[in-house]
Amino acid sequence: MGLERSREFRTDRDRVPLAAALVAVAFLAFLALPWVAHAHPMDGRNAGFVEAVSGAAPFPFLYLGAKHMVTGYDHLLFLVGVVFFLRRFRDVVLYVSLFTVGHSITLLAGVLGGLRANPYLIDAVIGFSVAYKGFENIGGFERVLGVRPDTRIAVLLFGLFHGFGLATKLQEFTVVKTGLVANILSFNAGVEVGQGIALTAVVLALRGWRSRTSFDRYAFATNTLLITAGFLLAGHQLFGYLVYP
Amino acid sequence: MSPAEAPQAGRTGRARILAATGLAILAAALALFGVVLPAEHRFDPLGTGKALGLLALSQERPIAAQEREYRTDTSELVLLPDEWVEYKYGLEQGASMLFSWQATATVSYDFHSQPEGAAGRFAESFEARDADHAYGSYTAPFLGIHGWYWQNKTADTVTLRLDTAGFYTSAVEFRDRVSGQHTLTDLRGEKIANP
Repeated sequence: MGLERSREFRTDRDRVPLAAALVAVAFLAFLALPWVAHAHPMDGRNAGFVEAVSGAAPFPFLYLGAKHMVTGYDHLLFLVGVVFFLRRFRDVVLYVSLFTVGHSITLLAGVLGGLRANPYLIDAVIGFSVAYKGFENIGGFERVLGVRPDTRIAVLLFGLFHGFGLATKLQEFTVVKTGLVANILSFNAGVEVGQGIALTAVVLALRGWRSRTSFDRYAFATNTLLITAGFLLAGHQLFGYLVYP
Repeated sequence: MSPAEAPQAGRTGRARILAATGLAILAAALALFGVVLPAEHRFDPLGTGKALGLLALSQERPIAAQEREYRTDTSELVLLPDEWVEYKYGLEQGASMLFSWQATATVSYDFHSQPEGAAGRFAESFEARDADHAYGSYTAPFLGIHGWYWQNKTADTVTLRLDTAGFYTSAVEFRDRVSGQHTLTDLRGEKIANP
């Protein structure tokens, strides 16, 4: 297995500080807070706004989309899993584009076509997607199951699910149809902005960490934690599905 | 292997991967049933939520005790063409009321609140639209006077009937250059003078 380091990432090897490790720890600490269990906070005031809004409100929806990504730690964990071993910048771009295409399709089609799914089930799939990526990262599919699923297809598929989740969330709160298309487009653009912000943090952190020897030592453990977090999120959502139908 | 395929961590044996995955599932299950579900949903199969005091986190509190006495108020307001009226209740922070009003024609209204001691005519507006009725509940976000501004924009006289019940301490009607206190009714239906 080639562990070649590409030139793009090599130059910064010694410059990136411990902040990398701190960000990773912060993610895990965040997960450890049991009371932060609703992965997608649309808190009272924001929800009240979305319910009351009539007509196009591009910037509020842009903000809500960005906030959704930056504070949605299931999305963030999935991103960590996806870019964990991506050393080449163009791979990062490729995977993120696939994810973006996936969730844009279902977000737009979901809201415009009025398609809904049970939000707990969607969030459970998103939790499983985190576990899936962690399992793939520790070599589970290849070495244990003897299969090699195409990561690109998996990322696209999970992108579709994530978008469907966004669509379902948004529809729960949207009552007025005036300006809906403009608002959905704004929300989707906000999701990209938020993803850009989150991804920059994640890629920089991993890049800094990858240049240290501790990366090789703890990469396996970190991905095991991703699997744990993924199953925890999925389990929590499945409970919600069973108890609050 | 495509160039986009991610290299895996080291050369890990099957046994270690399986052990790690099993451990991950076990840890997730322990965290879920031991901590998250008790804290979030009061589902406590292992008894850890009770032992750690986590159940209190998700205790629903649909009942809010109120400090003030219960009052009711009914008013019939007549609005000549283009005339406006304001009708406000004195509510402390957290005090709530139920309301219902109906007008004989569509009026413009604005429900807003003025914090006590706020400078000038500062008011926070919570709802502004045109309607001929509205029913709902209101919980005051701060101490002050809270209520409606109604304006008759039609060419005819409009009559508006307002019914409320709640934990307010006063009711005041404001009109152009005139204002006056209203008498509230207590639990036994007796009239109570405003303080």
